Parts: sequence; C-alpha cells; structure tokens
Amino acid sequence: MQRNRPPSPQTISVLRALAADPARWRYGYELAAEVHLQSGSLYPILVRLADRGLLDTSWEPGQGSRPPRHLYRLSRTGREFVAALTAARVDRTTLNPHNRWSEA
Amino acid sequence: MLGGLFFVPMLGLLGVGIAVYRRNPQRFLDGPTEDAPLRLMRWAVGLLSPQRVEWGQAMLCELGHLGGRIRRMRFALGCVVAALVLPPWGRAAAGVWAVIVLAAGAVGLYGGIAARYRLGGGDWIAAAILTVFVIGVLLGASALVRRPGVAIPGLLGGLFVTVTFLTLSGFTFLDQILPNTVPWHRLVQVIVVPFVVGAAGTLWSRDPIVGKRIARLAAMTGSLGLFVYTSVAVAAIGGGGPFDEDGGGTLRGTISDRLGNNLVLLAFTTLVFATIGWGGAAAAGRLLHRTPTPTVPGPISPNSETQQEA
Repeated sequence: MQRNRPPSPQTISVLRALAADPARWRYGYELAAEVHLQSGSLYPILVRLADRGLLDTSWEPGQGSRPPRHLYRLSRTGREFVAALTAARVDRTTLNPHNRWSEA
Repeated sequence: MLGGLFFVPMLGLLGVGIAVYRRNPQRFLDGPTEDAPLRLMRWAVGLLSPQRVEWGQAMLCELGHLGGRIRRMRFALGCVVAALVLPPWGRAAAGVWAVIVLAAGAVGLYGGIAARYRLGGGDWIAAAILTVFVIGVLLGASALVRRPGVAIPGLLGGLFVTVTFLTLSGFTFLDQILPNTVPWHRLVQVIVVPFVVGAAGTLWSRDPIVGKRIARLAAMTGSLGLFVYTSVAVAAIGGGGPFDEDGGGTLRGTISDRLGNNLVLLAFTTLVFATIGWGGAAAAGRLLHRTPTPTVPGPISPNSETQQEA
C-alpha cells in the first residue's frame, strides 16, 4: 500500500533543485552538494521519487577507466507535481501572509 | 580475576586480527583503486535487496567519480546508512538490523543495570569488555548475513537455540537466576541443539560451507538473545531471590555477580554453540558427500553410439 504523506522539507529541496532546470540530467553527488544533504539522506529520497514515477533515471556511459554514472531529472509527472506543490504553497501564503515557512 | 577476563578477549581479538591479515595482507594496504571507502561501499551494496541493486550500482559508480579520501569516506558512510534504511530491506539488511537490536539491547541493559545500582569500576571494565565483544559479534554477523542463503536460516537457528535453551532452563526470570536443570538439559542445550542447527543448515543448503556459516550466525544471535533475556531477568528481579554468597551477600555484590555470570555465559555459549554447530555442519557435509548423487542420463545423440563404437 502506497502512503501519500506530504513530502519532507528535504524532499522538497531536492524537487526544487531538479525543477530549476528540468531538462538537465543531474549527478547524485552534485545534487547532494547543491541541497546540502548527505548521501545517506539523498539516495533514499531519490529512490522514493523514482518509485512514485516523479523521477527519470539514466546511465551515462563510463569514459576510459571511469565508471558509468547514474543520472536524474524530473519526469513529466514530477514536473506536474512540483508545479502543483508550488501552486498550493502560493495559495497558502496568499491566504495567510504570516505563514511563510515554505520560504525558510 | 577481572584482569584475566580482560586479557582473554584482547588476546582473542589479536588472534582474529592476525588470522585475517595472514589470509590477505593486501586488504590493509589501500591502493589507488581499492581503498577503504570502496570496500565499505561494496559491503553496503551487498546489503540491498535485489530490487535495489541498480541503486547500489549507482552509489558505487558515483563514488568512482569522487576524489579526496575524506570526501569519499563521508559519501560511503552515507551510502551505508542509505543501504540500511532503504525499503524493502534485503535479507542481509534485516539480519544486520536484528543483530544491531540485540547488540544494543545487550550493552544498553548491562550499562543501565550497572548505572542503576551504582556498581563499581570492575563492572564498568566488564561493560567495556562486553562492548568490545558485542562489536566483534556485530562485525562477524554482518559479514555472515551477506553470504547467500545464510541470513534467514542463521537467524531462525539462533531463535531455535534460544527458545530451546529457555524451554529447558525455564522461562521465568527467577529461572534465569536459579536455573533448575538436570544434567541432560545441559547436554541438549549446549551440544545437541547447536549440532542439529549446524547439520540442518548443511542439509538444507546442500553445502557444508553454508551450513557452517549458518551455525556461526545462529551461535552469535542465539547467545546474544540469551544474554539479553538473562539481563532483562536481572533488571526485573534486581536483588530478588537469595543474595549471592559470591557477591558478599550484599545487593550490589549480588547484582554484580549475576551480571558477571551472564557475561561468562555469553562468552561460553557463543564459543561452544559455534564450535558444536560447526561440527554438526561438517558431519552433515561428510554424510552428503557419501550419498551418491543420482545421475540423469543425457540425451543420446545420433553420433554417440558411433563414437563409442569407434
């Protein structure tokens, strides 16, 4: 059974970082550094997003002795989810201007 | 007495270290392609369930693009956490969690009781010995649970060992302080049951090496389970029952003596269960090798008779 809990602040940070340039493929470590998350927090978030169909994943072929690399970007569903999330937050902020926790 | 107790596990750890080093000295020398973070990461990836193998590869490959020892180690440690918490848990991760819970329970209960009754320095030295011992068990068990076909049978074997032990010695807390057993109970608890677990492991897996691993894991988890149960008994009963003469007849002495008895039982059962279980697995392995494997005749090709005739 899939639970529909609201996304955590860390998940929202990852979604926002990915939504900043939705067409661009991102590396795991690059993403972790951008949202200031440890790999132990980032990867479970990425796995959950991929399980819910919000994330597209791909492999970049290895070059020379360097191994291949896993890539991530928002799927179409993911982009719609982030848009809906942003709209809901804008509505909430408009209704209650003092509640600006989402910008924290 | 306590000095001697401290000396034995230290010597044991030293022996284990020498044995591991002699097995493969290169593992301690970090080369440009095989460093500690990479080994740690490989270990962590082995904990993941089959559905998450691609994610394990993703983390492993990402590490290949990172430079700097500290940065690599931080990334690898984070991935260990991810491998342990990522659902669905693989059997290895479930096994590691089970042993972590037992290990934390063992050390937590011992320390909690020692603090509650304000026991002396000797008991805190014993707590340190217990911690070292439990960390050793945790490392050993975490290596075993990653082997295919070992985690679940080993944990079930440990449960079987614990339940049989308690069934014969009594489940009540007072039975743990004053066990009412006859000699054949001890024989079954210490010899028969671990032997059966080892033999069953071999017969189930059809491989004596796997059977020996199952026996070792069962010995570790069974002994830790017994230790936790007997420690819970001491925590619940406290100074209840007759005061211990060995402890000087005082409350603190009695508690200290009971904790010490549990510690000795833990070391004894771990060693004996593992040894007897190993023997059971080896004996069953000999039996398996003696049993002729039925050969299935292969398909006869048109040329086979001609070749035989030639």
